[in-house]
Order: sequence, then C-alpha cells, then structure tokens
Amino acid sequence: MVLSLFIGKFTISPDDIIQLVIFNLMGAETPHPSVYKTVVFEVRLPRILLGMLVGASLSVAGAAFQGIFRNPLVSPYILGLSSGAAFGAALSLAVAPQFPVQLSALFFSLLAVGFAYYIATSRGSTPVISLLLSGVIVSAVFDSLLSIIQMAVNERALQSIVYWLMGSLATASWSKIHSTLPLALAGCAVIFLLRWRLNVLAMGDEEARSVGMNPELYKAVFVVAASLAASSVVSVVGIIGFVGLVIPHMMRMIFGPDHTHLIPLCITFGAAFMVLVDDIARAGMGFEVPVGVITTLIGAPFFAYLLRSTRSGGWE
Amino acid sequence: MHKISVVAAFVCFVLAVSAGCCGEVTIKDDLGRDVTINSPSERVVFMMENALKTYYAVGDPENIVALKDDRWMRKLLDDIFPVIDPDFEKKLTVSVSGDRVDLESLARANPDLVVLWATTPDDANLKAIEETLGVPVFAIFVRSVDDVLHQVDTMGTISDRMERAAEVKEIMHDYMNTTTNVTSNIPESERPKVYWMWTDVLGTAGVNSGINDLIELAGGVNVMKFAENETAMTMEHPVVNLETLIKLNPDVIYMWYNENLDPEDILTGDDFNGWKDINAVKNGRVYEIRNPYLFDAFSPRMPLALLHVAVDLHPDRFKDVDMDKIIDDFHVDMWGVHYPSMEKA
Repeated sequence: MVLSLFIGKFTISPDDIIQLVIFNLMGAETPHPSVYKTVVFEVRLPRILLGMLVGASLSVAGAAFQGIFRNPLVSPYILGLSSGAAFGAALSLAVAPQFPVQLSALFFSLLAVGFAYYIATSRGSTPVISLLLSGVIVSAVFDSLLSIIQMAVNERALQSIVYWLMGSLATASWSKIHSTLPLALAGCAVIFLLRWRLNVLAMGDEEARSVGMNPELYKAVFVVAASLAASSVVSVVGIIGFVGLVIPHMMRMIFGPDHTHLIPLCITFGAAFMVLVDDIARAGMGFEVPVGVITTLIGAPFFAYLLRSTRSGGWE
Repeated sequence: MHKISVVAAFVCFVLAVSAGCCGEVTIKDDLGRDVTINSPSERVVFMMENALKTYYAVGDPENIVALKDDRWMRKLLDDIFPVIDPDFEKKLTVSVSGDRVDLESLARANPDLVVLWATTPDDANLKAIEETLGVPVFAIFVRSVDDVLHQVDTMGTISDRMERAAEVKEIMHDYMNTTTNVTSNIPESERPKVYWMWTDVLGTAGVNSGINDLIELAGGVNVMKFAENETAMTMEHPVVNLETLIKLNPDVIYMWYNENLDPEDILTGDDFNGWKDINAVKNGRVYEIRNPYLFDAFSPRMPLALLHVAVDLHPDRFKDVDMDKIIDDFHVDMWGVHYPSMEKA
C-alpha cells in the first residue's frame, strides 16, 4: 500500500510525497503546490484504501460462501448479488437517475440475495443445493431485467452500464469509502469473529448438529454477513470478478483449509492483490483499464500454477 | 402481330419506368464497403436516430417503413418528426434485444435498405441482416464533422434527391459560419483546452473523433491533443486516468448530457474532491450539453451544437447571439418547422 502511494500518472518525487505525508500527519501547511496534496490525499490514497476494502471484502465473502456451500466453484455472486447490483445500477444510470447508483445497486443486490434465501428456505431448513439453485434462478431473473433495460436505453447510457459492469476503482473518493466502510467492516467482522464455525459448517449439516451447532442459524448469519460485505463494495465499484472466487482458493492451496487462518489471510492477501492489480490498471497504460480485466489476467496464471502444483485444489 | 407489338411496347415502357424510378446504384458506406441500393430506396428502415434526422431533412418521409424500437428515439415523439411526417407514429418498429436486431421484426417491414450504426464490417447485426435477410445495409460510422456532412449526401443518394441534399449542406454550412466566422480568428493562445466528458465521466473524445472537430471549430483545443500516450490520444473514446486529467489540466470541462450528474456536482460534489485543482473547476468553467436532441453533433443539427459549445467557450465573443432565434430559423430552413412551437412554417 505504501509503495502504491508513489505510483501514478502525475509525477511527484518520492521525497515530496514523504514530506507531504509527514506535514499532513503533523497538521502543518506544506510548501508544495496544492495539486500535489490533492493527487496524494484525494486521488491516490482513497483509491488505494477503497481497493483494499474491495479486495478484502470480496475475498472474505468468497471464502465464507465456499465454506457454507462446500463447493469450490462458488463466488460471492452465487446468490444473485452481482445480477441484482447490476440491475440496480442500470436502473439508476438509465431509467431513474433520481436514485443514486450506489444506493440502488446496494438495495437490489441485497434484495436478490434475500429472494434467493427466501426461495430456498422451506420448513425452517435451507438446504445448500436449494440455495445454489435459487441463486441461479434469481440471477437469471435479474439478468433478464437488466437485458430489458439495456435494450431500451440509448447508446451512451448503455456504454455507462457496460463500463459499470466491468468494475473500476477510477472514481474512488473519500465519500465512497465513508459510505462503504460501515457495511463492509460489519460483514467482514462477523465472518472474522465466527470463522471457526465455518470449519464445522464445511463438514456438513449433520456433523454441525452433532457438535451442538445450529447449521441453519449460522448459514443465515454467514450469508447475511458475506452479502453485506460484498454488496457494499460492489455497489460502489461495480462487478469485479475473479477476486472473490480465486483468492480464497489460492490461500487454501498455500496455507490449508482451516478457516481460522483462511479468513485473516483472505483479508490481507485479498486487499494486497487488489491494490497491486489496481496499480497496473491506473499506472500501467496511458488510459484507464477496467480493474476486473487485469484481475483476471494477473490472477489466472498464478491460480493455474497453484492448481497444477497442489493436490485436490487444497480441499483435502 | 399488332397485339404482340402493343404488349412489347407496354413491357418496354414498364421496364423504362422501372429503370427510371428505381435505378440501382453502388455506393460506399461509412465503413468503405460497396453497397448496392435502389435509388430511391422505397422501404427504408432506420436503426439510428441521427441518420433519421438527416433523412427527414432530405428525403421523402413515405419511404421510411420502420424505425428502431428505442425508448431514446420514442422520446422524440414531441420533436419535429411527427410534424414533418404525419405517419410517424404509425411506422413499424424493429425490436432490439441487448444489442442484437430482431430479424423477424425487421423482416416484417420488408425493407429494401437498412441504415444502422456499425463500427466494423464484422458487426454482428450488419452481417446477420445482409446474410440472413439478403437486405442491403448501409453502415453509418461518424468520426468527424465531414462525416456528418457526408451523411447528407448519402441520404440524397438513398432518396434520389441530390439537389435537396446540396441545399441541406448549404444550410448547414451557413449556420456553421455563424460560429466559425468568429472562432476562426481566435488566436491559438486564447483557445481553451477542453476536456469532453461522456457519461462515463472519465471517458472522453480522442483526437480522431467528431467531438474533437466540434471543439476545434468552436474555438477550443481538445485536451487529449496534449496526452503523452499516443494510443490514448487517438482512440475514439479513451477512458483517462484521473491523474492524467489533472496533469492535462483542462481550462474547460464540457459534459455531454448526463442524467446522473450536473456541472455543480463536478464543481462542489464530495465525489469530485480530487478534481478541485483542475483549472476548469477552479474557475467554475464546467458546462453541459443541455438538450442532447436539440444539440446533436452527429446530425444536421450539428451547427446548433457547435454554436452551443462556442457560446460557452467564448461568452464574450458571442454575447450578442440570439440563440433562440437562430434555433428557430434553423428549423424553418431545415425542416420547415418552427421551434419550439412545432408549428409548420
């Protein structure tokens, strides 16, 4: 993160950046041009912090969902969260601009997860397979609604929707961090504090009951927490793929499947990975590349290497 | 024998009339492809709104059989189209799913020509219509002000009304001169650096774009001209990095019509704190295209868009301009309709 502060298209010497940070920490006026301060504290720093928040939240949510579902193909978007968010964002961008994009995306992402959970729950029980299938149904419904919006809007609005769907940290700001932080932190904190219970859930409902744990209650708690964490960041930066799916796998392959270690590792490595990838997206080329594109291009080869060098993808 | 002669003469007459009224011509579309069409084409489908505006300025409204089913376009029902064309609301509509044209609803219109926007000869819609329905497609791809003017010629050929096309171009040139007579004399040092903001905020117009021409004719300089990265500079729609934008430091930010943002948001919004050291923001010079239908840079209304931008870039030089009167006069000359009253002139 510290190194990322020195990377960017606007040229400021490392000495100046260090001085700026020290002066700012001391609350003193700096002799530097005001634009330096703006670039460091209003452009780079919020973007780095938002990237960390996004990486950590998506990775933790992915790890939690994979634990609950006992399925390596699960991502934070499995219950229709991304489809709901995309529909909400498109609705705001193209049809109802009076509703802020972030709020609309957040509302519909949580609504989608809520629907999926409601459909899957029957007689107080929420079987994992029903939850997976209801996620598919809800995703399909919101994808269809998104298609209707896309075919009804003009080319420029369509372009905005497509760009939003690709995910980007380009418009990061302190206000976005402030609005994202409470939900993302709350979701991650709940998963972090209850992480050992994921080990029990990952063994199956019967095993969980045999040790006196209520699997339905904890499934619900983890689904709500993971959805809050993922929805809050997706509503701000759009849909960034791969991170929530692959970072938990990578950590599992390297450090093993114990969630007591896996969750803190996902927080730190997910945050670091996202910042690294965004450094390339914002400084690697003359124009802004959607971060989701780089996430895949950087993460996929590393993931493939780990896949070939570990047995059973780390699930044993 | 006499009967045979009469029949032969009749056949010759029909052929002659057919050849005269619907001669085939081969023209190049905006992608450089040879397209063979009837001139005039009598069953034309328009899948883009700006080309439709151009056609209505030049061609016979009766030859339009269908339009894209597009809410964006349908919003224009309170625009000039229904006044020029009493049958406008009765036209068939062609639905589009995602970005794919529904071939069945297009076939229903039985077109002899489809006009659509395409950026490449491999465009899926273009190929599907030509290969599946066997209907010629004229691809529109506007990259410069010259392309907008060329579109008038195209509509002249499609409707076999070249004389009217020449008149329309003349009208456009006359109204462009209202602006360029002033802006062409502005010295380089007084031309503001302009950042064009599409709806994706950091998406802008590269130097090879129609908007670049518009900015230059309006007396400004596209700030992308000063970008260090050549790829970013020349892309039609580059997405710049905020730090790059701060470095480029434009004097003016010009927003295309944006339903989610206003200039005030850029100037004072919490999400735009990182923009505060840009000259345009410091000096309060953030403007927006107020009406994307009226000030459409990719249609015959381009001279109005040009004047709109020029007035904002150089308010002192255009302080005596009566914009409302110019808009009204332009619509009377171009379509024979008063604006905004929509009464026939």
